Amino acid sequence: MEMVNITINGQKISAPAGITILKAAQQAGIDIPTLCNHPALSPTGACRVCVVEVEGQRTLITACTFPITDGLVIQTESPQVVKARKFILDMLFSERNHFCMYCQMSGDCELQNLGYRYGIDHWVFPTYTKGFPVDATRKYFLMEHNRCVLCGRCERACGTLVANHTLGLRNRGAKSMIHADANLTFGDSSCVSCGTCLQVCPTGALCDKRSAFMGRDEQTQHVKTTCSHCSVGCAMEIVTRGGNVMKILGDWDGAVNGGVLCQHGRFDPLYDERTRITSPLIRQKGKLVPANWDEALQVVAKRLGKADAKSIGVLASSNVTNEALYLLDKLFSKEMKVANVGLLNRAAPRLFEKPQGSLADIEKSDVILVVGADPVKDQPVASFLVKRTVDRGGRLIVVDGEDNGLAPFAYMHLPMADTGKAVEIAGRANNPVILYGTGAPEKTVNALKKLQGKAAFVALEQGTNTRAAVAFGFANGFKPSAVKTLFLLLGEQDGIGVEALEGIGKGAFIVVQASFASPLTEQADVVLPMAIWSERSGSLTNTEGRVQKVSKAVEPEGEAKADWEIISLLAEKMDKKLGASLEELSARATQNIK
Amino acid sequence: MSTIKTLEDLNKAAKRGLESIIPSKTKIMVGMSTSGLASGAQEVYDALAAEIKKRKLDVVLCKTSAMGMDCIEPLVEVIQPNRPRLAYSRMTAKKVPEVINQVAKGVVDGFKPTYRMDEEDYLCLNEKKPYFKGPLPNDVKDIPTISNVDFYKKQVKIATRNCGMINFESIDEYVAKGGYFSLYKALTQMKPEQIIDEIIASGLRGRGGGGFPAGVKWQTCRRAHGDIKYVLCNGDEGDPGAYMDRSVMEGDPHSIIEGMIIGAFAIGATDGFIYVRNEYPLAVANLQRALDQARAYGFLGNNIFNSGFNFDIKIGKGAGAFVCGESTALMTSLEGKAGEPRAKYIHTVEYGLWNRPSNLNNVETWANVPAIISRGAKWFSSIGCKNNSGTKVFSLVGKVNNIGLVEVPMGIPLKDIIYEIGGGIPGGKKFKAVQTGGPSGGCIPKSLEDISVDFDALWEAGSMMGSGGMIVMDETTCMVDIARYFIDFLEFESCGKCVPCREGVMRMNEILHDICGGKGRPGDIELLESMSKGIVDGALCALGSTAPNPVLSTLKYFRDEYTAHVRDKKCPAGVCKALIRFSVSDEKCTGCGVCLKKCPTECISGEKKKTHVIDQTECIKCGVCKESCKFDAIIVE
Ligand SMILES: Cc1cc2nc3c(=O)[nH]c(=O)nc-3n(C[C@H](O)[C@H](O)[C@H](O)COP(=O)(O)O)c2cc1C
Ligand code: SF4
Ligand code: SF4
Ligand code: SF4
Ligand code: FES
Repeated sequence: MEMVNITINGQKISAPAGITILKAAQQAGIDIPTLCNHPALSPTGACRVCVVEVEGQRTLITACTFPITDGLVIQTESPQVVKARKFILDMLFSERNHFCMYCQMSGDCELQNLGYRYGIDHWVFPTYTKGFPVDATRKYFLMEHNRCVLCGRCERACGTLVANHTLGLRNRGAKSMIHADANLTFGDSSCVSCGTCLQVCPTGALCDKRSAFMGRDEQTQHVKTTCSHCSVGCAMEIVTRGGNVMKILGDWDGAVNGGVLCQHGRFDPLYDERTRITSPLIRQKGKLVPANWDEALQVVAKRLGKADAKSIGVLASSNVTNEALYLLDKLFSKEMKVANVGLLNRAAPRLFEKPQGSLADIEKSDVILVVGADPVKDQPVASFLVKRTVDRGGRLIVVDGEDNGLAPFAYMHLPMADTGKAVEIAGRANNPVILYGTGAPEKTVNALKKLQGKAAFVALEQGTNTRAAVAFGFANGFKPSAVKTLFLLLGEQDGIGVEALEGIGKGAFIVVQASFASPLTEQADVVLPMAIWSERSGSLTNTEGRVQKVSKAVEPEGEAKADWEIISLLAEKMDKKLGASLEELSARATQNIK
Repeated sequence: MSTIKTLEDLNKAAKRGLESIIPSKTKIMVGMSTSGLASGAQEVYDALAAEIKKRKLDVVLCKTSAMGMDCIEPLVEVIQPNRPRLAYSRMTAKKVPEVINQVAKGVVDGFKPTYRMDEEDYLCLNEKKPYFKGPLPNDVKDIPTISNVDFYKKQVKIATRNCGMINFESIDEYVAKGGYFSLYKALTQMKPEQIIDEIIASGLRGRGGGGFPAGVKWQTCRRAHGDIKYVLCNGDEGDPGAYMDRSVMEGDPHSIIEGMIIGAFAIGATDGFIYVRNEYPLAVANLQRALDQARAYGFLGNNIFNSGFNFDIKIGKGAGAFVCGESTALMTSLEGKAGEPRAKYIHTVEYGLWNRPSNLNNVETWANVPAIISRGAKWFSSIGCKNNSGTKVFSLVGKVNNIGLVEVPMGIPLKDIIYEIGGGIPGGKKFKAVQTGGPSGGCIPKSLEDISVDFDALWEAGSMMGSGGMIVMDETTCMVDIARYFIDFLEFESCGKCVPCREGVMRMNEILHDICGGKGRPGDIELLESMSKGIVDGALCALGSTAPNPVLSTLKYFRDEYTAHVRDKKCPAGVCKALIRFSVSDEKCTGCGVCLKKCPTECISGEKKKTHVIDQTECIKCGVCKESCKFDAIIVE
C-alpha cells in the first residue's frame, strides 16, 4: 500500500493513499465530528458537519469523502471550519423540532453531542413552527419525523446492507421526508423489521419502543455474543441495565453479519411471552411439584442408572450450545452406550466431507443457486447477503417451490426437477455459489455434486446448532418405539409440540430440560429448568462450521442453569466425571466438531 | 438510405441537400420549433398547406426551426428561384392568402416581408451562396436585408448556424451546409491528439456555465484509465426562461451529434448519451430522428467512414429537476437513480457514469466543435475576446423590446445587447439591471452596462455566464423582490441532500419574504450575508454554493433598496405590496371615474369631476387603478 504524508492541525501523519481525510485523522487520533457518516455505510457527504480546511481548495471540504494525496495540509478546527459547522448545526436544530428534554435519545444523540461540542445554546431561527408526523405503525420501533436530520443513514442501511430498499427520500429540498415504499406507513410497507436503520440512526428519529426512556447508554453494559436464533450465527451485543436486557444491537465487527441482524435476532427475544420454568420439577402423585436441583438430578440419575441402554432414548434440540451437545453425546452415547439419539429438526444433506465454501462466498459470486432452502424464512441474514449480491448484478436461480421467499428476486425460478438446467447455468458462471437446504432430495444433491471444485457450497441448516448436533451424531434416525426412558433436551425451542413424543410408549419415563413451560413439559416426569440465550456462556457452531462464543449477559431466571451445566451435574450424580471448566469443555467440543 | 463511407458519398448527399435547401421551385418554410408552435405556427402551416392545395400550386412547404427572434413569430419564409429569401413575420392564418398571392405572382405587394436575405452563409464550408443572380428585383428593394435588422446586426452565428436555415428533419440539408465533413476530416485525416490540440488551441470553453476549457477536459478524459469511456451531452437546461439548448436540439440536432462523435473519437469513447428533460418532447423527437438518420448513414455504429472507429449515442431522459443539470446528478440520473449530486472530489472524467471515465459537455459546446474542426482553431479564436473565444448564445427576455435567442461574439458590451439587439426598454422606461447566469447568477446594474460579456468579466462583477439566460429589468423592478423570486426557485429546486442548501436557502427565503412583506427586522441584511457565506462554504454541489448569488449580487449593487424595505418599510420600485400605498393625486385626477369602475374591491369613491379617494382598508394593491388611469393620477409610494 502506497503511503502518503499529510499534515493535520500541524501534526505530520503518514497514511495509506486514497483513504479519506476522516479515516486518516481517526488513525492519528484526531477527532473530526460527523453526522451523516457511518463506518458501515458508504459516505455521501450530505450533512457537511465534517468540513475541514484543505490548503489550496477553494471551498471547505468534507473529510468523510475526500481521498488523501501526498502533501495535503488540513485544518480541522480553524475559525472558518468552526463557523461553518455552527451554521450547519444552527440549521439542523431549527429545521425540525428538537426538544431534547422529551427525547429518548437525549444523552446518546449524535446531534445533541455536536450541539454541546460547538456551544449551540439558542435557536437562530423560529422553530416549532411546523409539526412533523410520527409513524408508530410498526411493532418494534417508530419513526419520529420531528427528530429526523435527513442524514440518509437509514436509507443507505436499508438499501445497501439489508438490500430491502424500503426506505427512501420523498420530495425535494426542505420538504424532504424519509418514507417507506411509495409513501406507505411503515407498518404496511415492505419493511422486514430487521432494525438496521434503527441502529444507525444518529438521532431520536427512529425510536425503539422497548428501550425508549430506559436509560442512557453510559448507564448500560454491553456484552458481545452470538445470536442463537438460526444457523447463520450473527454477532450481536446484548445491552443490559440493572440485570435486565434493554435491547440487542448488531455487532459491526461480526464476521458473518457485519452488524446486520434480523427481526428474530434483534426484537423477538425481547418479546418472548412464554412462561419460564424457574425451578426443577418432579412429578408426584400425577402432579409436577417444585424440587431442588439435588432431588431432581437424583431422580433422573437413579432412573438412568437402572435402565437398559437399549431402552433409553435421547432427543435434542439444535438450539443448545456446543458444550451441551458434547456432554450429551459423551454421557449418553459414549459412557452409557445409548444408541437411540435424535435431533428435533432435520439436517441438510451432507454433500462433502470437508467444507466447500462459506457465507462470505455469496457476495463474491456472480450466480447464486438456492436449492431447497428458504433463507428469507429460516436464515434471514443470509437472504440479505443474497439480495445484496443480486443488487450488484449477481444472478439468482431459485430451485424450490412456488412460495420460496427469494423467488421475487430470482432471475430464474425452477422446480426441483429442473436442477440439471440450473447446474448447467451455474457451471458457466465464474464464481457460482450453491446454497442448499433440507428441501433438496437426493437426486438433486447428486446433480449439484457435479459442480464440485467449480462452485462454493454452503448448506443452510435449519435450527441453530444443527451443524454441531450432526457432528456429534444426533441426526441418526430416532426410534421411539423402544424408548422406556427419554431424555429430551428441549432448550428454548419453540414450535415443537407433543408430536415429538409420538410412538413413545405410555409408561415411558420422560425427562425434559427446558426453559419454558409447554405441552411437552406437561408430559414430563422431571423438568430441569434451563437458562436462555442471554443467561449462559458457551459456544455455537454456525452453518458454515464457524465456532463462535456466546456470553452470559444477565443472571439466569430463578434456579435455571446453563444447558451444559445441567448435563455436567447430571453426569456427576451418576458418578461419571465429565465435569471440567467451560474453557476445557469448549476446547474439547470444538475439537470434535472440526 | 445507403451508408456513407467515402467523401464521394458525402458529396452526393450534400448535393441532394442543396437541392432541397434551394430548390428549383418555390419553397415556403415555417418556423416550427417550440417558440413558433407556441405562437401559432401550426395553424399557419395548416392554412398554408390548405391554400397551396386549393390553388394547386407547385410549391414545397416545409418546417424549419427558429432563427432566434421570437417576438416576430410565427415566421414564414419564402424562397423563389432567382429572388432573395423573404421573411414574413407575425403570421396568422388570415394573412396566408395574401402571402400565397404574392408567391403565385412572384412579386411583393401589399403585406410586406420584415426582411430579406440575399445570400446564405455556409459556415462550415466557408462560403456564401447567393439566392439569386443578377440585379435585385425592384419590388424587394426597400425591404431591409437581415443584416440591417437591429436584432441581427451584431450577431455572429456559429452554434446556431443552421437554426432556422435548414429543415431539421433532413440530414441531407445538414450535410449540404458542410455537416459531417468535419467528422470525415477528423476521422480520416486527424489523430485524436491532433483534434484535442485543435480544440485546446481554439480556446473553446464549456458553454454550460463553468467555462472550463473543453479541450483540456477531453485530454484528461483521454488519459484516464479504462476501456469503456463515455461522452455525454448536457441538454437538461433547467434555468427558468432559458431555451438556447432546446433551440439547437430542435433546430439543428446533427450539429450536436457530429460534435459528439468527433469528441468521442478524440477521447476514445465507446458510447454517448444525450441527457434531455422530458419537458422537451420536440427536442427528444428531433434528436431521436437525427440519431436514426446518422445511424442509417453510418455516422454512428461500426467502422465509421472506414476508420475502424465504433461509436453510438443514446438519449437519456430526465424528469426536469434543475439539479439534474449538475454533472454528477446528471450521471446518477442517467444510471437510473434519483438525480442527486455526489461529492465530486474524484473527477467525473475519471470516475463518472457507472464509475467510468466520462466527458460531459453542454449542447452548445458540442455544436461548436464541427465548426472548429472545419474552419480551424485560428479562425475560432479570432472571434470573441481574450481567453473567451467564439460566441455565446443568450436567451434575451424580460423588459426589452426584442425578445429572442441571440448569438453574439464574446466580449460584446452588455449595452449593445440591450439597446441594439434588444432594441431598448419598452414604454420609455429606464434600464435598471440585467440578470445573467440563470437562477443562481447575479444582477448587473446599469452602472456596469459597458461590461464585456464574457466568462471572466461577468464573474468578477458578481454574476456569471451560466448557460446563457439574460433577463432585462427596468426601473419598475424591485431588486429585493427579484432576489426573493430566484431564491424561491432555488429553494424549490434544492435536492435536499445537504444541510446548508436544504435548510439555509429555505431560511433565506423566509427572511426575504419577511422583508418584502414589511416584516423585515434590523439585522436581517447582515444575517442574510452571514448565511450566504455559510451556504457558499458548506454546500455539496454548485446549486447550493451559488444559491446565495441572487442575494449577494443585489446586496452588492442595490443595498439601499434592502435598507429601504427593512428600515423605512418602503419598496422604492413600488412592487412589494405590503410596503406600498395607492392614492390619488389631487392635481392630476380629473374625476373621470375609470378607476372607480375598474377597482375589483370597489374601494374607490368620488363624484364625477372631483378627485377620487381610495379606501386604504379595502385596497388589495392590485394596481388596476394605476394601469387604467389615463392621467397618471394614481400615486404609488
Ligand atoms: C445546479 C446546476 C445546474 C446545471 N445545469 C446545467 C444545464 O442545464 N445545462 C448544462 O449544460 N450545464 C449545467 N450545469 C453545468 C454542468 O454541471 C456542467 O458543468 C456542464 O454541463 C459541463 O459542460 P461544459 O463544460 O460544456 O459547460 C449545471 C450546474 C449546476 C451546478
Ligand atoms: S434527536 Fe437529538 S437533538 Fe433532537 S431532540 Fe432528540 S436528543 Fe435532542
Ligand atoms: S431517520 Fe434517522 S437515520 Fe434516517 S434520515 Fe432521519 S435521522 Fe437519519
Ligand atoms: S447544494 Fe443543494 S442541490 Fe446540491 S446537494 Fe446540497 S441540497 Fe442538493
Ligand atoms: S459526516 Fe461528512 S458530510 Fe456528513
